[in-house]
Amino acid sequence: MSQQPPKGYHSLETMQRLQRSALPTRDEDLSAPDAVTRRDVLKLMMGASTALALGTTGCARKPEREIISRATGPEYQKPGKALYYSSTYTDGPVPYGVMIKTVDGRPVKIEGNPDHPVNQGASDAAMQAWVLSLYDPDRLREPTEGTAPTTWEAADDRILAALPQASNVVLMTRANLGPSERALVKRFTEVCSGARHFVHEAVHDTPRRSAWNRLYGADGEWLPRFDLARVIVSLDSDFLATDGAALENIRLFTRGRKLDDAHHGEADISRLYVAESAMSLTGSNADERICLKPSAMGAFARALLDAVRGRSEAIAEFARVHRVDEKTLTALTKDLRENSQRSVVVAGPHLPQQVHAAVALLNDELQAPGHTLVWNPVRAALPVSDPAEVESVFERGVDVAVFLGVNPVYDWPGGGFAALLQKAALSVGHGLYRDETLAACTLALPSHHGLESWNDAVARAGVESICQPVIAPLFNSRQEAESLLAWTRALAPDSDPIRTCSDWHDYVRARWQGESTSEGEAGDRLTRRRTWQDCLRRGGRFEELTAASPPRLSHDAAQALTPSPMEAGDYELVILPDPALWDGRFAGNGWLQELPDPVSKVVWDSGAIVSPHTAEGLGLVEGDMVVVEVGGRSVELPLLMQPGAVDGVISAYLGYGRMEGGVIVEQAQGANLAPLLGRENPSHPRLALKAALRRGSGHRKLVRTQKQFSMHDRPIVLDGTLQEYRHDAGFVEHKRHLPEPVQMYDPWDYSKGYKWAIAVDLGACVGCNACVAACQAENNIPIVGRDQVDRGREMHWIRIDRYHAGDADNPTVHHQPMLCQHCDNAPCESVCPVNATSHSPEGLNEMTYNRCVGTRYCSNNCPHKVRRFNFLRYQDAQLRDPVQELVFNPQVTVRGVGVMEKCTFCVQRINEGKFKARNRDQQVADGAIQTACQQACPAQAIAFGNVNDPDSAVAKMNASKRTFFVLEELNVKPNVAYLARVRNPIPQRPGHDPSDGSRHG
Amino acid sequence: MSANPSLLAPAALTTEEVDLRRLDRDIYGPMEAFPTYRWWAAILLTGGLAGIFVVCLAVTVLRGIGTWGNNVPVGWGWAIVNFVFWVGIGHAGTLISAILFLFRQRWRTGIARFAEAMTIFAVICAMQFPLIHTGRPWLAMFWLIPYPNDMGVYQNFRSPLEWDVFAVSTYGLVSLMFWYTGLIPDLATARDRAGHWFRKFVYGILSLGWRGSNRAWSHYEKAYLLFAGLSTPLVLSVHSIVSFDFAVSVIPGWHTTIFPPYFVAGAIFSGFAMVATLIIIMRKMFRLQHLITDNHLELMNKIIIATSMMVGYSYAMEFFTAWYSGVAYERYVFLNRALGPYAWAYWTMAICNVLVPQLLWFKKIRRTALLMYPIVILVNVGMWFERFVIVVTSLHRDFLPTSWDYFRPSLIDIGLFVGSWGIFLTLLLLFCRFLPTIAATEVKVVVAESHGSHGGQHG
Repeated sequence: MSQQPPKGYHSLETMQRLQRSALPTRDEDLSAPDAVTRRDVLKLMMGASTALALGTTGCARKPEREIISRATGPEYQKPGKALYYSSTYTDGPVPYGVMIKTVDGRPVKIEGNPDHPVNQGASDAAMQAWVLSLYDPDRLREPTEGTAPTTWEAADDRILAALPQASNVVLMTRANLGPSERALVKRFTEVCSGARHFVHEAVHDTPRRSAWNRLYGADGEWLPRFDLARVIVSLDSDFLATDGAALENIRLFTRGRKLDDAHHGEADISRLYVAESAMSLTGSNADERICLKPSAMGAFARALLDAVRGRSEAIAEFARVHRVDEKTLTALTKDLRENSQRSVVVAGPHLPQQVHAAVALLNDELQAPGHTLVWNPVRAALPVSDPAEVESVFERGVDVAVFLGVNPVYDWPGGGFAALLQKAALSVGHGLYRDETLAACTLALPSHHGLESWNDAVARAGVESICQPVIAPLFNSRQEAESLLAWTRALAPDSDPIRTCSDWHDYVRARWQGESTSEGEAGDRLTRRRTWQDCLRRGGRFEELTAASPPRLSHDAAQALTPSPMEAGDYELVILPDPALWDGRFAGNGWLQELPDPVSKVVWDSGAIVSPHTAEGLGLVEGDMVVVEVGGRSVELPLLMQPGAVDGVISAYLGYGRMEGGVIVEQAQGANLAPLLGRENPSHPRLALKAALRRGSGHRKLVRTQKQFSMHDRPIVLDGTLQEYRHDAGFVEHKRHLPEPVQMYDPWDYSKGYKWAIAVDLGACVGCNACVAACQAENNIPIVGRDQVDRGREMHWIRIDRYHAGDADNPTVHHQPMLCQHCDNAPCESVCPVNATSHSPEGLNEMTYNRCVGTRYCSNNCPHKVRRFNFLRYQDAQLRDPVQELVFNPQVTVRGVGVMEKCTFCVQRINEGKFKARNRDQQVADGAIQTACQQACPAQAIAFGNVNDPDSAVAKMNASKRTFFVLEELNVKPNVAYLARVRNPIPQRPGHDPSDGSRHG
Repeated sequence: MSANPSLLAPAALTTEEVDLRRLDRDIYGPMEAFPTYRWWAAILLTGGLAGIFVVCLAVTVLRGIGTWGNNVPVGWGWAIVNFVFWVGIGHAGTLISAILFLFRQRWRTGIARFAEAMTIFAVICAMQFPLIHTGRPWLAMFWLIPYPNDMGVYQNFRSPLEWDVFAVSTYGLVSLMFWYTGLIPDLATARDRAGHWFRKFVYGILSLGWRGSNRAWSHYEKAYLLFAGLSTPLVLSVHSIVSFDFAVSVIPGWHTTIFPPYFVAGAIFSGFAMVATLIIIMRKMFRLQHLITDNHLELMNKIIIATSMMVGYSYAMEFFTAWYSGVAYERYVFLNRALGPYAWAYWTMAICNVLVPQLLWFKKIRRTALLMYPIVILVNVGMWFERFVIVVTSLHRDFLPTSWDYFRPSLIDIGLFVGSWGIFLTLLLLFCRFLPTIAATEVKVVVAESHGSHGGQHG
C-alpha cells in the first residue's frame, strides 16, 4: 500500500471498510459539555476503528491497524466535520497530551488534551506548529544513499549486512524516548553485540540532574508547585518558558495569583522574585527582578541560605559585594523566613552543580520538599551521554553509527561532529528532514512524522500516554522505532519472542496490554483490548502523582558540593534554548520562525543579547556584528540590546544557523551557538564563565515585529499593586480614561440573543505566545518571511504587545495580547466604501473577504492597528503545492492578495457551536465555544462567550472591578475587556496609605 | 483675491500692439506647423516617463501592493500623497476659469485655457492613484460605483472614499465640459484656418458645427456662465471632500476640523504654482510673452503668497489646536511631525510653503520669470511634502506605540510618481500641438483693437 502514491486523506472505501469493522458507536461530540459533563462525554465516546496502512518494511502488505476516534464514529463522519483523536506530542522536551482535529482524514489542528495531567488542555507554540511540519514539502520523502534515491529493502540489506559483523555500533537517540522505545533500544543493544546506546541533546539539565542525583541518591526531579507557594524565587530559571513543563508551570503560577474581587481585602497572591542575567519571560513576569550575573548565583543562594538560617548580615554583605539593592534582598529574606513550607526556590538547569546544592539546602531549610516541591521519580528524559565519551568511541572507530531523530552534526557540543562521523564505516541517519546529519550520513532514511506514528511517552510517574497516527504516511517514510524493530528482529535469535512481533504498533500495544494484565484477573483478551482502547480514547493512563516518600537530602553531599566561588572573566555567556525553535529541531517550521521572541520580538534571527550599557561600552549599536569567543572558538552574530540584561553577560539562543533542511532553514538568519557549548565547562555546558566579546565585521538588522517598547505615558496597560488592590478592588477605575458618552445615533440594542466578547486577564497572561501560534494554525494565517516582517507586514491576528516601564536598566514589563477589539463603534466599519467590514447583530466585527477591494482605510482608521493586509500573494505558493495545502483549516477562507483580514473571534467556531445548539433547540452554553487562542492558553487568561449571559465566564470577568478597555476614551466601545494586572512587589513604606499608588497613570 | 482694478487695465494684458491676425498666427501657428525637434525630444522624454508608469502599474497589479513601501500602520503611502497632490494641482484651472470669470477678472483670459487643460490632465493623473492603490483594482473599479447589481450589498455612503468617487468624478467631468465648451469657438477657427481636408474634418467634428452666429454666441455665453456657476462650488467641494478622507477618521493628525479650508487653500496654492511653473516655459517656447505677460505672473504670484499665508496659518493653528485640545495623542503627533523621524519632511514642507514664498513680497521677484521660477518650483515640492507629512507622519505613529513603524517608498512608488508626471506632461505636450493653448476668442476681446466693439460682455 505504501507503494501507492501518497494520499493525504482516507478514501471513501476506507471509510466504508471502517464502518463494517467499527465497534458499536454513539453519536456524540466533544464540544458540547452543556448537557453532560466532560467526563460523561468521554464515557460516551465510542470506539471505532479506522484502518491505517503503516509504511511497510518489506514487500508484504501490512495488516490493517486500528486507531480510535475520540469524538464521533466513522459512520457518522460527514464531509467537512471534524474528528478528534487523542495522542501525544513528543517532539518537545516534555511530552504533552494532544487532541488532533482531523477533517476528511487529514489533521489540521492540534489542541491540548484536557485529560492529560501535565498540560490539561493547554498547548504551546511548538505543539500548535506541529501540524505544519507534517505537511512540510521539504521533508525527506524517500530513503537515499548519498544523494541517490534507494529503497527500504536496499537500505535494510545494507544495514543488516553490516550489523552482524560490527564490533562497534553506536545508536544515538534523543532523550525523551517513550517506554516502548526505551525497551526496544534495550533489546537492540542486547541482540546487537557491540552496540552502545548514546543519548544526545544540546539542551538538557545535566548539571541540575547530576546534582540532584548526588544530593538525593535517586534519579528523579523536583516539580515545583507554584500554586501553593507564596514566595517563589527563581535563580536564572525560565520556568515559564523553557525550564521544565512550562505549560504546567504557567498554569500553576497563575493559579497562585488568582484574585477574587469579593475578598479583595484579604487577597493573597504569590510574590515572584527572579534573579537573572538576561531578561527572560519569567523575569518579565517578576514582581521583584534582581539583576545578577550567573557567576554570582551560587553566592546568592548561599547568602540566602545563611540569611534564612538567621545570619542576616550575609545577605547585606552579598548585596554590597554584588551591588544589588539591599532592601530587596532583605525583604526577600524576610519573606522566605515568614513563609516556611510556602516558598520555593528554583535554579536554572544550566547553572553549575554547586548552585543546585545550595538551592537544595535552602529549599530544605524552607521545608519546601513535600509542600511546594513534589518528587517525581520517573523522568521524561533519559540522562544525556557524556560528549567526551561519545567522542572517544568515535575516535577509536565505529563500524555502524545510527542516528535516530538527532542532529549532532549541527548541535554537537563544541561542534566538529562531522569529522567524527567520517570515522564511521557506515553511518545511518533517520530523520524528518535531510538535515546536517542526514546529509553527512551514508544512508539517509526518512522518518514518519509524529502524526503518522504509533508511540508512547512518559511525562512523569503515573503519566503515560499513547501517540497514535491520524493519517497514512504522506511519503515513503518509516518510523524510527519501526526501523529499529526491523533490525532487532532480523538480528534476534529464532527463539526470541521479538521475532513474532510483526510491527511497531504490535510492539507498543503488546507492551500496554501486557502491563495491564499484570494487575491480576482482568487479563482476558477482551478486557485487555478494552483497556487499550480506553487508553487510546483518553490518550493514555493518567494517575495522580502521589507524594510517596520524597528522598532525603544528603547534607554531606550538599556540603561537598558547596565549595569555591565561581571565577568569572569579563564576560559570561549563557546559551539558552530558543523559546520557539528549541535546539534548532524546529528551525524548518515557518510558523515558529516567524513567531516573535516573547521578550525581544525578533523573528527569523537571533542575536547576542547584552545590556545597553555593555553595548555602549563597546561603542556598538544593535545589529552590529560581534564575535563571541569561548575557549578559542568563536561565533559571529548581531548584537541585540535588551534592557534588563545584566552588564557583562551575553545570552544567546541555540537553534539558529542551520545549514541544511529546506527552504525555511535556508531563509532564516542567525548563527549556530553549539560550537561554544561545553568547551571550557563540560560540567555546565550552557554556561561559560569566561567568554570574550569583541567587534565583528558588518551589520545585520535584527527584525522585530515591535519597534517601540515604551508606553509613552498612555493609559494602555493599567496595573496596580497588591496593596492598592487590597485597599480598593476598583483601583483601576481611577486610572481609566472614560469617554464622554456622545452618540449621534441610537445605539444598537444588543441585549437580545448573543453578544460575543472576550476578556483577557492581564494578571494571568505571561506572554508565552501560545495564542499567537494557535491563531495562526486555526485561521490559515500565512507566514511572510523576514523581509516582509521588516517592512511591517506580519500577518498575526493576535499579537502580544510588550511594554517597558520604570527603571531603564531593570524595567517592569507588561504583556498585552492585542487582537481585533470588535468595537461596537468600530472606526473601520464606517470608512469602508464597499461595506466589506460590518457589524453583526451579535457584536462581531465581520470581514467579508470576497467584498474587500483593499483600500486599507479600515486599517488606517483602526486605533489598535490589528488589521492585516495581504500585501503580496502570501498564500499562492502554498495553495499550489499539493502537500502544503493540506494544512489549511477547511472551515476558514484562505485569503488572496489585496484583501484585508483580522481576528474574527474564530467565527467558524461560533457558527459551529450555534448550529449544534440550535439543532438541540438550546442556547449555546458557556464554554461550549472556545476561540483558538483561549483554548491554547496555558494561563487560562482568555475568556470568550456571551456577555448577555450573566453567568458566563466572560460576563463575570467583564464585571470585575479590574476591568478596563484599551483606548476606551475614543468611545469605540471595544468588546475585548482587559483585567488589570495586580503585581505584588515588596510593599513600599509599610503602613503608608496604600491608595497613594493609584495616582500615577 | 480682489486686486486693484488699476492693475487690470486692458492694456496690461498684452505687451505689444497685437492685431487680430497676428494673434491668430501666434496661437494657431504652432498647431499648423510640423512639430519642432524640441517638441519631439520633449514628448519622447515624457512618453518614456509615462511608460515607466505603465510598467510600475503592471508590477503592482500582478504582484500586489507589497511592491510598494506601504505597511501596517502606514496603509496609505505615496499613492494617496500623489492623489491629493494632483487633485490639488487641478484646482487652479477651474478657479481661474470659473471663479475669476464670475469675478470678472479679465486678466484670466490669457491663462485660462492652459490652466483648464492642466486641470483636466492633473485630474486624470489623480484619478489613477485611488484606483491602483486598492488591493484589488479589478474589483474596485466597479464596486465603488453604485450600479444596479444582484450582489445584495450596496456601497457604504458613510465612507469618505465613496464621497471621493463622486467628488472627483464630478469635478473631472464638469471641468472637462467647461473646458470643451470654451474650446468650441477656437476649434471652429482652427477648422476654418485648416488647409488639409483631414484637418478640416477633424476640427470640424470637434467644433460641433460652430458657425459663430449670434444665436450660437448667445447660447455659448449662457452655457459658459452656467458652467462657471456650476464649477465654482466644485472648486471648494472637491478638496473639502478629499480632506474628509482624513478628517473623518479617528487618527490623531487627521481627525481635525481645519482640514477642508486648509486643503482648499493648499490646493489653490499648489495649483497656481503649477500653472506658473508650466506657463513660463510654454510662453517662452511658443513666444507668447506678449499674450501671457509679466502682469499675469504678478497677479498669480499675489494669489500664491496669499494662499501661502493661509496654509502657514493652518500649520500653526494645527499645533495650537493640538496643544489646546489637551489630548496626549494629538499633541504627540504634532511634536512627532516637527521633531520625529519625519522632521526632515516637515521642515521641507514648512520652508518651501511658508518661508520661500515670502520672497514674493518683492515686486521685482514677482515680475521676473527667472526669479520667481525657483520659488514656484519649491512650492510644488513643498505641497507634495505637505501631503506626505499629513498622510505618513500621522499614520506611522498613532495610538499604540507597539504598532509604530517607519515608511520607506519602494522603487515602484517612485516609478509611479515619476510616471504620473510623464502622463501629465505628455498630455500637455499633445495639447500644445493639437489645441489652441490660449483662448483666442477671449483674448481677442481684450486686445486693444477690439475695444469698443463688444468687449466686456464676456470677460
